[in-house]
Amino acid sequence: MKDVNAVPTTLPRLGLARPSFAAVAESELDAVHRYLLFLTGNRSLAEDLTGDTFEKAFRAWRRFDPRRGTARAWLCGIARRVALDHFRAEERRARREDRYARELDRVVEPAWGEGSLASALQQLAPAEREVVALRVLLELDGPTAARLLGISRTACSTRLSRALKRLEEMMSDARV
Amino acid sequence: MPASETVDFEREFEELVRELRALPSDTPASVRERVRELGEPQARRVFPRLTWRRAVLVLVPACLIAVVAAAAVHGLLSSSASKQTATSTNQAESGAGAVKSQPNPPATRATPLQGVTRKTPTFDQALTPSAIPSPSPGRYQNYQADLRVRVKDLDTLGDKTAQAMQITQQLGGFVASLSQSSTAGQPGEADLVLRIPVARVTDAMVQLSGLGTVLSQNVSIVDLQRVVQQQRQQIRALQLQIARITAALQQPGLSADERLRLQFLLDDTRRNLANATGRNKATLREAALSRIAFSLTTQKPIAPAKKHHSSFFGRAVSSALHFLGGAGAVAVAALIIVSPLLVLAVLIWLGVRAFRRREAQRLLGTT
Repeated sequence: MKDVNAVPTTLPRLGLARPSFAAVAESELDAVHRYLLFLTGNRSLAEDLTGDTFEKAFRAWRRFDPRRGTARAWLCGIARRVALDHFRAEERRARREDRYARELDRVVEPAWGEGSLASALQQLAPAEREVVALRVLLELDGPTAARLLGISRTACSTRLSRALKRLEEMMSDARV
Repeated sequence: MPASETVDFEREFEELVRELRALPSDTPASVRERVRELGEPQARRVFPRLTWRRAVLVLVPACLIAVVAAAAVHGLLSSSASKQTATSTNQAESGAGAVKSQPNPPATRATPLQGVTRKTPTFDQALTPSAIPSPSPGRYQNYQADLRVRVKDLDTLGDKTAQAMQITQQLGGFVASLSQSSTAGQPGEADLVLRIPVARVTDAMVQLSGLGTVLSQNVSIVDLQRVVQQQRQQIRALQLQIARITAALQQPGLSADERLRLQFLLDDTRRNLANATGRNKATLREAALSRIAFSLTTQKPIAPAKKHHSSFFGRAVSSALHFLGGAGAVAVAALIIVSPLLVLAVLIWLGVRAFRRREAQRLLGTT
């Protein structure tokens, strides 16, 4: 969908085209949501965090510099920080509350429905799902993904390879 | 994205990748609406981003240029100021109580005896009458001066000492004391205390300074006018008292005791008058004769100052270099003070970053 307000602005002096926030949000919303879905493994949580991510991005939009990376990578960085903040808050809350009560209240909506792939994905660690989302679904290149994850390119590549292998093994086990 | 990387895992896990990309993950309409409602942020003025590279390329040269410009300005201003100082005379204000003069800079070149001119003196020239604080005519003043002059060698020392004595006598004064030492291998010294009529003291200073290179000169003038007046008033009062006592003694009908008491009082007053008169004479003598402590030496200057440039440009360059040296010293000191703090800040930043990364890995590995 095209937004009428999505008028590209120009970076001063350098003449680089700077997209409007609305246009970026429209084009990258699915990618960010998909990334958060893989990172959290929880559909409703991913939806909440997606909204939070774009609100943060809205406030920080003037700091976005297209010369330093794509809008997708920038948004994924924000989404990652939002998710980590959420995990930290959840961890603190879990420490405070009674563990049994928390387990009773916890109703996790399946992220990918039924099937061997969905169940295999649920068994992967969030870090593994994250690298799969960034490299396979969002198609970020190795250096960008590694920078976003705060690890080396080799570690990123190894983590991706291991995650995909594990997925394949789990799926083949399920089929057998 | 490098094609080889993508191709690798897409080829190796072709079916899995296809299945992953086919997973339902569309964003719900509610989230999409929430994001659309955000709209467009208000455009703000974008300032140029200050990166390290930009800071190094722009700020460092700018700071260097500013420091050099400041040094140049400082050099020009200080050289102008030093020239003004050099051309100003150190003539003291006469008739205003104690007067002190500035000591001359070392190694001031003296002019020959007959070569004294009335030009405005500079430090490169010998003492001239205008450069020496002169006593006020018509006032009683205690004039004391110290003058130290360097001569070439021991032979010259003897000649110049004799000349100094001759000058003193020519000007109507006398040598109060003289001591001369000339041991082989040691610098020769001659110390004279000269008493010269105050009216001729300026001439004496000029002529004495012409005997060699003036190393130092100090002049002290203390006004004695008030002291003399007080002494004279005291003398008049005592004379008056004596006249009254004498008149009282001549009155008839005085008792023996009273006469004796008046006689004692008269004797005391006469003694006081004699003392006051003596003090007055001493003060007048003091005011009539100046005291000049004149030293002649063969000692070489220890370290002649190299930075005494004669030209305006030379002084400006020297002052600017001095300023730059000071600025450099300040910068090094600041660096020494700040560098531990910088190292600490970097270590803290690295520690926090490592902690956050480890925490993120833990959260994503276990959540």
